[in-house]
Amino acid sequence: MKNILEALDVKKVYKIGRIEVAALQGVSIRMREGEFVSITGPSGCGKSTLLHILGGLAKPSSGQVIIDGEEISSVKDSARTDIRRRKIGFVFQRYNLLPTLTAGGNLQIAREIFGNGDRDDSHVQEVLKLLGLEKKVQHKPSEMSGGEQQRVAIARAVINKPAILLADEPTGNLDTENSHLVLSMLQELNRTFGQSIIMITHNPEAASVGNRLVEMRDGRIVPHERDVSFNRREDTIYI
Amino acid sequence: MRQSLVVANVLARPMRTLATVLAIAMEVVLILLVVGLTRGMVNENAKRLEGVGADIVLQPPGSSFLLASSTAAMPEKVAELLAGIEGVSSVSPVMVQLNVQGGVGLIYGIDLDSFTRVTRGFTFLQGRAFQAPYEMIVDDIHANSKKLQVGQVAEFLNHSFRVTGIFEHGKGSRVFLPLRTVQELTGTPGKVSLMFIKCDSPEEIPPVVARLKEKLKGYTILPMNDFVSQVSSASNNLVALRYFLNTVIFIATVVGFFAIFLAMYTAITERTREIGILKALGASKQFVLAVFVKESLLLCAAGLIGGVALSFAGKWLLGRVLPSLQVELSTDWMVKAGLIALLSSSLGGLYPALRAARQDPVDALAYE
Ligand SMILES: Nc1ncnc2c1ncn2[C@@H]1O[C@H](COP(=O)(O)OP(=O)(O)O)[C@@H](O)[C@H]1O
Ligand SMILES: [Mg+2]
Repeated sequence: MKNILEALDVKKVYKIGRIEVAALQGVSIRMREGEFVSITGPSGCGKSTLLHILGGLAKPSSGQVIIDGEEISSVKDSARTDIRRRKIGFVFQRYNLLPTLTAGGNLQIAREIFGNGDRDDSHVQEVLKLLGLEKKVQHKPSEMSGGEQQRVAIARAVINKPAILLADEPTGNLDTENSHLVLSMLQELNRTFGQSIIMITHNPEAASVGNRLVEMRDGRIVPHERDVSFNRREDTIYI
Repeated sequence: MRQSLVVANVLARPMRTLATVLAIAMEVVLILLVVGLTRGMVNENAKRLEGVGADIVLQPPGSSFLLASSTAAMPEKVAELLAGIEGVSSVSPVMVQLNVQGGVGLIYGIDLDSFTRVTRGFTFLQGRAFQAPYEMIVDDIHANSKKLQVGQVAEFLNHSFRVTGIFEHGKGSRVFLPLRTVQELTGTPGKVSLMFIKCDSPEEIPPVVARLKEKLKGYTILPMNDFVSQVSSASNNLVALRYFLNTVIFIATVVGFFAIFLAMYTAITERTREIGILKALGASKQFVLAVFVKESLLLCAAGLIGGVALSFAGKWLLGRVLPSLQVELSTDWMVKAGLIALLSSSLGGLYPALRAARQDPVDALAYE
């Protein structure tokens, strides 16, 4: 299986006035196509920062990120945006649906941005069905429960068949039942469609859903790893 | 069903949308009504001149087409000379005075007999023509808007004149006084500002103009049609009027600019998270920019339509309240007002849209 993502010695320093915060102090990670990686770690250890950099939302201070063969850390903003558009799907803790659009509108705009807005939407129907959302197409975010909103957000993230789905605590705002639902959907996407996923989570149950668990602390990856299903230690390089 | 983000955003804040659209509409109304009023005034003036029914207008050297600041005058006796010219059937000397009491307008001092011969007379709706030195006649529109009736007294040239008759409008001026009285009161006995000339037949007009030009060097001698169009274009090109119109248009443009600017500026703040979401979905700067520019343009288009509709309503209302005011809404000015609104909206929306496009996605997503 090919590498879908590779990060090499990624560092990120935030400057707040004169103070420098080293949010990432050299993270390297390699991920194969079809893997479902869970990242855990205490609050403030740099998980979100890492995810933003892996998805091309932010630029690392140093280091390299290669997504599906394309280097995204050193390119211009516009090129990074373009790679993000073609290769990445994001899911956030706060759902982040566009509030003025319906569920269907939220999916549609993702397709428009992708440049697919006018194509036939059989794929959209398929995704909606998978996520149990057929009846919610005309609903606005304010008319949906948190669990429903998060499922729409997942649908929106995968609608353009991204190379990688990046989820930042997708169950963080959900009750147990909805957490279950969302996690099993992510698992389904991974198993049925071979969707590569990286998921940040606090929740131990959520962490066990993936097939590899990465632990972070103080801007670094902790050098012991439980590979849930494959036991491939060599996939992660420790620095 | 396809849903447009731009339309959805506009509908999501109905009060803000309404206020912005109304502000743009006011911009359009301001331009259309003020331009329409001045054009209506000028054209109405032209129509009234045509209504005199003269064939040729003669003015002394150095007089203006507008007659408003006419200091130049010619001897009344010139009329006798003109009457002897071949092809001329009658001549009427007129003293034109600018009146600024209770609105700006022109007063004609006329010799009733010769004026009647040139113009085939007044149609009196009430009363009769003036006979005594301090009598006057006014047209129905003037009488209506000043609430004047036959027998009442009005002030002109710092003197009181009694209204003896109200005539149907369209005879050059709205107010006529006896020529002698005007000459006396202005201290210019025996002088007049223009002559209306009637020819034996329309075919005689060009040869008569030629003969007059030969006899009266330096005088302005124009067939009525040319005179009317010169008056109109001269009024349209009045420096003061241009200044006034440009000022109004400028203020209207600024109103439109700020309406859109404020609406869009508050919108980007309010929608910071949404901008972050769009960017996380891979939207380019141009995409985000377009979302906001399109919203400005949508508001502008709605404002334009509303503005044109309100202008028609305003014209109708003005016609009822102030019948002496003529408003002319022309298509070319609707297009111009549209372009002006478009310009102010684009400029007003541009900076907010650029700011939105430049937002850092991570910061935008973290925005509360
Ligand atoms: N925009 C920012 N500016 C300054 N410091 C930041 C910023 N974002 C995150 N940090 C800091 O970087 C560290 C890592 O943050 P984050 O990646 O959000 O951690 P986690 O997601 O694991 O909770 C924290 O110390 C946080 O305060
Ligand atoms: Mg975080």
